[in-house]
Amino acid sequence: MKNFAILAAAMICLVDFNSCETTSFAPPPVTAELAREGTGQHGDIATLREGRTLFVSRCIECHTLPAVSSHSAQEWPRLIDEMAGRANLKPTEREAVLAYVLALRTR
Amino acid sequence: MILPVAHSAVKRLRFLCICILALAPCVSVGGVRHFTFLYEANTSAPGSLELENWITWQRATGPGRFDQVDFRHELEYGVTDRFQVSVYLADWFYENNREHSGFAYSDSAIELIYNLTNPVVDPVGVSIYGEVKAGDRLLELESKLIAQKNFGPLILAYNATLEAVWEGNDLTQDEGEFSQALGASYEISPPISVGVELLHEFVFPEWRNEENIRNLFVGPNVSYRRRNWFVTVTALAQATDTEDEPNFQVRTIFGIGL
Repeated sequence: MKNFAILAAAMICLVDFNSCETTSFAPPPVTAELAREGTGQHGDIATLREGRTLFVSRCIECHTLPAVSSHSAQEWPRLIDEMAGRANLKPTEREAVLAYVLALRTR
Repeated sequence: MILPVAHSAVKRLRFLCICILALAPCVSVGGVRHFTFLYEANTSAPGSLELENWITWQRATGPGRFDQVDFRHELEYGVTDRFQVSVYLADWFYENNREHSGFAYSDSAIELIYNLTNPVVDPVGVSIYGEVKAGDRLLELESKLIAQKNFGPLILAYNATLEAVWEGNDLTQDEGEFSQALGASYEISPPISVGVELLHEFVFPEWRNEENIRNLFVGPNVSYRRRNWFVTVTALAQATDTEDEPNFQVRTIFGIGL
C-alpha cells in the first residue's frame, strides 16, 4: 500500500509539473508570424511545420531535445548534417529541420 | 530440464553478429534506450534498423539461491513515424542452481509498438505495446501502456504491463502478472545520462492472488551513446523479501544501428 502511495505521489508530481512547465521546454509552434519572418529565408509554413514535427520526434530517439538557443545559426547546419544519418533524415527532411531551427534562431 | 544449445547454432549466431557488425558503420541507429527495464514512448525512425543485445544477470541468495544470465537478441525496425516492429531472434539463458547448471533456449518473440502522442510537445507521450512470445513449452502474451514526459534534459517514464503466461508440456500451468515501472533519466552531457528505475511486480499463479506475491526492485542506471551505438546498464536490488526472486539483477542493453 505504501508503494502505491509513493507511485501515486510521483505520478501526481509528474502531471502537476507537466501542467505548469511544458511550454517552457517544448520548442515554439510554427505561427504565421514565425513563417512571415522566415519566408524567403528559411522556407514556407508547411516546411517549417514539417521541420518542427521532425525536430521533436527524430532528435529524441537518441538524446533529449537541445534548446535552439544553445547553438549559433552558424553551428546548426553542421550539427544537423552530423545527426541526419543517425535520425534517418532524407535530404528534404534535413532541410525542413534546419529551416525550422534557423527560423527560430534568427527571428 | 535444461536443453543444451547446439554448437552449430552458436556458430551461426556468431557469423550473423559478424555480418551485422561489418554492415554497421553505414547506417542509422533506431533509438537509444535511457532505461533497460522500461520502454520509452518514442518509436524508431521509419526505415531504421537496429540490433539490440540484452544481457540480464540475476542472483538470488538464501535457501533457493541461483544465478541466471538471460540473453536476448532483438532486431528493431521503424515502419512508420509512429509504428515499429521488433523480432526477438532468440532468448536463451545460462542457469546455475543446486539442481543443475547449463545453457538453454527459452523463446522467440515479436513485438509491436504504436506511438500515440509525443513526449515533448504533448502533455504526456503515450505508446501502446503488444508482444507474443513462444518457446519451449511456453506461450506468453504481453501488453503495455508506455507513458513518458521530457522536461528539457530530464526524462520521466512509466510503464504498466499485463502478462499472461502458459507453461508446461501441455501449456496447462497459467500465470498472470501485472507490473508497473517508473524511471527517471537525466542527461548530464550529450552522450551520457544517469537515472533511476523502479519495478513493482504483482504475480498471480493460476490467476489467483492467494500467495500474495509482490516484488519491488529499485536501482540506478547509466546510458552512454556514440555515433551509431549505445550501451545502457541498470542494477536493481530487491526491496521486498520474496525468496524465489533475485536479490539483485543487472541488465545491459547494447544497441547498434544497422
